[in-house]
Amino acid sequence: MGMSEPVWGPVHQDIVGLLADHPADVPEVVDHLTKLQKLLVRLPPLERSCPLADFNELYLTITTSVLNGLYDDRFADPVFLARLDVEFAARYFDALRYWTESSPATPKAWSCLFKRMRGPDARPLPSAAAGVNAHINFDLPFALVTTFDSLESEPVDGTDQHRDYLEINQIFAERIPELRRGYLDNWQLMIDMLNGDIDDWYQGELVEYTRNVAWRNAQKIWRCRHDPEARECERVRLDDNAAALGRLLLSPLGAFLQ
Amino acid sequence: MASDVDLVPLVGRADHLATLRSALLDGVGPGQTAAVFVTGESGVGKTRLLREAGDRLRVAGALVLTGACLDIGDSSPLHPLLQALRRFDAELTASHARTSSAVRGLLQMFAAETAGPDGAGALLERVSRGLHLIAQGRPLVLVLDDLQWVDRSTRQLLLYLLAGLGDLQVSVLAAVRAESLQGAHPLRRVLTELRRLRSVRVLDLSPLDRAGTEQLATAVVGAPLGAEAAESLWQRSGGNPFVVEELARDLREGRDGLSETLREVFLARVDALPQAAHAVVHAVAAGVEPVAHWLLAEVTRLPEGELIDAVRAAVAHRLLVGDDDGYRLRHRLVAEVLAHELLPAERSVLHRRYAEALTTATAELHQARLAHHWRLAGEPARALPAAVAAAQEAERLHGYAEAHRHWSAALQLAGPPAASADGGLDVDRAELLRHAAETAHHCGEHARALSLLEELAAAEDAPPACALHIRRARYLAAAGRSAPAEAEYRRALTDVDCTPRERATAAAHLAELLLHLGRYADAGDRAREALELAAEVEGSVSEVVLASAALGFSEAYLEDPDAGLAVMREALDTAERAGRPEDVACAYLHLAELLTGPLNILEEGVVVARRGAERVAELGLGRTYETRLLAIATNGLFRVGQWAEAEKVVAAALRHRPSGADAVELLLARCRLSVGYGDIAAADRDLEAVATVLAGGGARHVIPLLTLRAGLAMWQGRHDLARQAVQRGLTESRSDDVGILAALVWHGLRAEAEAHAARATVDATAVRRLREVAERVARKSEHAARPVRDVVDGFLALCEAEVSRLDGSDPALWARSVAAWDRRHHPYPAAYSRLRQAEALLARRSRTASAGRLLREAYQVAQGLGAEPLSTEIRTLAARARVALEERGASADGRSVTRAEPVGDELAVLTTREREVLAAVAEGLTNKEIGQRLFISERTIGVHVSHIFDKLQVRTRVQASAIFLRNRSE
Repeated sequence: MGMSEPVWGPVHQDIVGLLADHPADVPEVVDHLTKLQKLLVRLPPLERSCPLADFNELYLTITTSVLNGLYDDRFADPVFLARLDVEFAARYFDALRYWTESSPATPKAWSCLFKRMRGPDARPLPSAAAGVNAHINFDLPFALVTTFDSLESEPVDGTDQHRDYLEINQIFAERIPELRRGYLDNWQLMIDMLNGDIDDWYQGELVEYTRNVAWRNAQKIWRCRHDPEARECERVRLDDNAAALGRLLLSPLGAFLQ
Repeated sequence: MASDVDLVPLVGRADHLATLRSALLDGVGPGQTAAVFVTGESGVGKTRLLREAGDRLRVAGALVLTGACLDIGDSSPLHPLLQALRRFDAELTASHARTSSAVRGLLQMFAAETAGPDGAGALLERVSRGLHLIAQGRPLVLVLDDLQWVDRSTRQLLLYLLAGLGDLQVSVLAAVRAESLQGAHPLRRVLTELRRLRSVRVLDLSPLDRAGTEQLATAVVGAPLGAEAAESLWQRSGGNPFVVEELARDLREGRDGLSETLREVFLARVDALPQAAHAVVHAVAAGVEPVAHWLLAEVTRLPEGELIDAVRAAVAHRLLVGDDDGYRLRHRLVAEVLAHELLPAERSVLHRRYAEALTTATAELHQARLAHHWRLAGEPARALPAAVAAAQEAERLHGYAEAHRHWSAALQLAGPPAASADGGLDVDRAELLRHAAETAHHCGEHARALSLLEELAAAEDAPPACALHIRRARYLAAAGRSAPAEAEYRRALTDVDCTPRERATAAAHLAELLLHLGRYADAGDRAREALELAAEVEGSVSEVVLASAALGFSEAYLEDPDAGLAVMREALDTAERAGRPEDVACAYLHLAELLTGPLNILEEGVVVARRGAERVAELGLGRTYETRLLAIATNGLFRVGQWAEAEKVVAAALRHRPSGADAVELLLARCRLSVGYGDIAAADRDLEAVATVLAGGGARHVIPLLTLRAGLAMWQGRHDLARQAVQRGLTESRSDDVGILAALVWHGLRAEAEAHAARATVDATAVRRLREVAERVARKSEHAARPVRDVVDGFLALCEAEVSRLDGSDPALWARSVAAWDRRHHPYPAAYSRLRQAEALLARRSRTASAGRLLREAYQVAQGLGAEPLSTEIRTLAARARVALEERGASADGRSVTRAEPVGDELAVLTTREREVLAAVAEGLTNKEIGQRLFISERTIGVHVSHIFDKLQVRTRVQASAIFLRNRSE
């Protein structure tokens, strides 16, 4: 990096300081995302239209809903869901940390969005979608595996954990319409283009569909988790896939969504 | 073997070395533990840092043991520790040191270990005992490289030692490759939890900066670099020291510019090797590192002289490093370069030679290695027996995860059923499946265990259907899938092929399962059925004990406690008559749980638990059942207010150095006492220890841990920390654990009330949420059994009263809480409620007389318990309200709960425990000696002594002793 400007410009030190902490419970995760949001919207030149801030805001909204759900006894296995939430967020913070250190270890799924942080201006919807894509298609399966491993449990369909996991789809469904507003038709078109073989797309299915893919991927990784080579293979595969989709979302084609 | 690694100075890591020394040695008090996890990308210098730090710690007087984890995925359990011990043994042998016999003893212990109940926990204890002997009072440092490949047993051992359960001053320095932590590595979660602890640090090792890069390169080249070369080196290396060193070496030898990347650097070097050296490098790449010299000689088939020259060449080209225990590739990158160099056939020849050489000699990891090489040599028939032997060896060391992998490998090697049937391999496939399923069950691979069981059921020589039903039910229950587990037990009960014994087993287990599901009536019916079935079968004592316990609890919950108690007592008699130790122990355990749990007959429960503890110790089950029984006794004693006694019991139990959930129970019990005593340092240590153990798993204990953390924070005036702990607890608890949840909610509301009292900000959202949860708990407990409701009601009374503190505390609500806790005979919360009731009355300036009475009652209890922070609050309030706490002449009339003997006036202000300590002080014992005598920590004694000084208003031990002697009852 040499003499060049720090990755996060004027808020670099603040972000480095924030990322030095590793949140260990859901209230702390929400707190972290809130602080991060305040810093991201100060990042020049885009400030309020920082594409990462678009994602971060959506993520904060969802996580706050999850936290409220935990307080309100919405889930059958809160231990599982709380840990999953923390593990899930840890991967987003890790990606930010790698990016901060200009590390080649930054997942490609994320760097395609991080690269756009300083411009040119991207539209909010595709930006948020690119973040959701990286977070769900790449981070989520691994967060699931780590969570099950630490709870000495495993990803089995039809369990309490699986039902809780699916309940998150409901939270997305509740929250996304207000963010998506009138862009639905374009979403639909975009998705049709990306997944020619899926013909039953309807309102709100993007997240549900990818989240199911993440669950299946977690089951796949689960089976090979003791084999470092196979695990690494999966990681690279998921990273490449998510990165390809992310780049597409952030391409001029993605702007079409807005 | 010479290796020039050490000739290059360590650049840019001086601060890290200083940090490591202070974190791992200088800053670690006697009996304490510490850990530093060094993370960083590969080549950043983790191994080098570990070595340098290890050397320095050794020079500073620590005993340093170093080992590395293996990436073959099927190494034996505890491999890094065994390796470290063997290395140390070799060093000692070379220097004829005396500790060698202790090391040999520990190594021998591993060799003699046999599988058995509680084997894993007992092994941990014996390992720590062995390490204790080896350390001989020196601080012990375990240095472990490549922790990303750590086996599960080693992981548990580290957490056990770091939690202080081994009673050993130990530090751990471990390196983890950052790349490996991406994805789904099990260490991720462990580190997330551990890095929050004060005794643990995670050190992220970054690449060198530009100045460091130049400094290192200059040292390698031996002269300052030109501006252009320096820039190019900086650009190409990114400050990675390994890359810097290799590129600088090329620069020195005039090969600069030929190789752009490190990969090319190594490729060029491999190409330049002489023929024999080429063979050596490839042989090491195919082996399991470190490759011993004799083994390398066998595999390469080079004559001694030629081999040594070849090794020298490979070392000189910086592809190989040698150490006392054998050869390794210089770096992982070398392995990656070499991977594409050999043809598959060439590689399998190397594996075959390894396997043949290992067959004739025993060595470290013998069977696992043998299986590995035969498999890669394409010889499944020869790999199979080695895999089976490796699995048995892993089972012997209680490494079920590793054993399971070996059994699975064996199954794969055996091929599909058809292959072995038509004269292929002579294997008992059903036997392999049985073992693979059972080990999968033991290491928590539930789905895998079940699918292996299905395979077994379909096999030709499958076990009878009934046995399969029972086993499937067991696996399903372990996986938390109660409904299908219940169905399987029911199938076993209706299966015509079942023997009466099997039917009794199924009914007893089903009863237990139903009990856990809260279906008490069903559980009772099944338990009665099991007892009837068991009566017909000679020797089915285990079934009788299990079914009686289920029946006893179900009756207790269904409000016929006497009937349940009678059944359980009879089961104990039956077990004693039959005489099998485990049955006797289980019967005692269930009886004690029944009494101290739902029946709330605490005094008797404590007596039973202690008698049982003695009995099972006689029967040789001290470590397992005695510890559990003593944990029950401790918690009972705490609740009835016999804290001094509880402290003794918990210390006695911890001397068994328990592990896992047993250890957590005891540490939490001891911490509860320390929080009550106001011994902040001791409480804090136990909380850290519990958190360390729980980092390895055990979600069940998280809420009690957080509740205690909140309780401790409140005595320290840290409502903010208490609030955080409770918030975390609320988001991680199941709402059906109403008792545990109710205690947590009370702590949350109390934190807000304390904040309000201290004129700090009250978190209105938190209050709203807590009240909602309290309402939910109340709703759920309406339908709960009476004993559950009783516990919850006490806490809910506290909750409601705390809420009133936010808005003019209501004495009537506190009076209700007093009544609820008095009814349950729990003096501590009752005394707390009396304090608050008095406070509320005084605030309203009404009925000062009853406030005075309440304060005196509360004070007397608090003093009797030794509950220092509570006593202090009472004293403060009494002083403010000018209430005299001690009535003239009435202070020593023996009303105190735990008072053992009448004592002189001046000592009346002391608690029982403090008097015991003072007696020992008067004998001239040091704090350490007193601690050993009373089974409590030296530090706790220090706290007691300072309380004694305060209360007696003296400054020296001599003055205190004088008062003691003057007042001693003759």
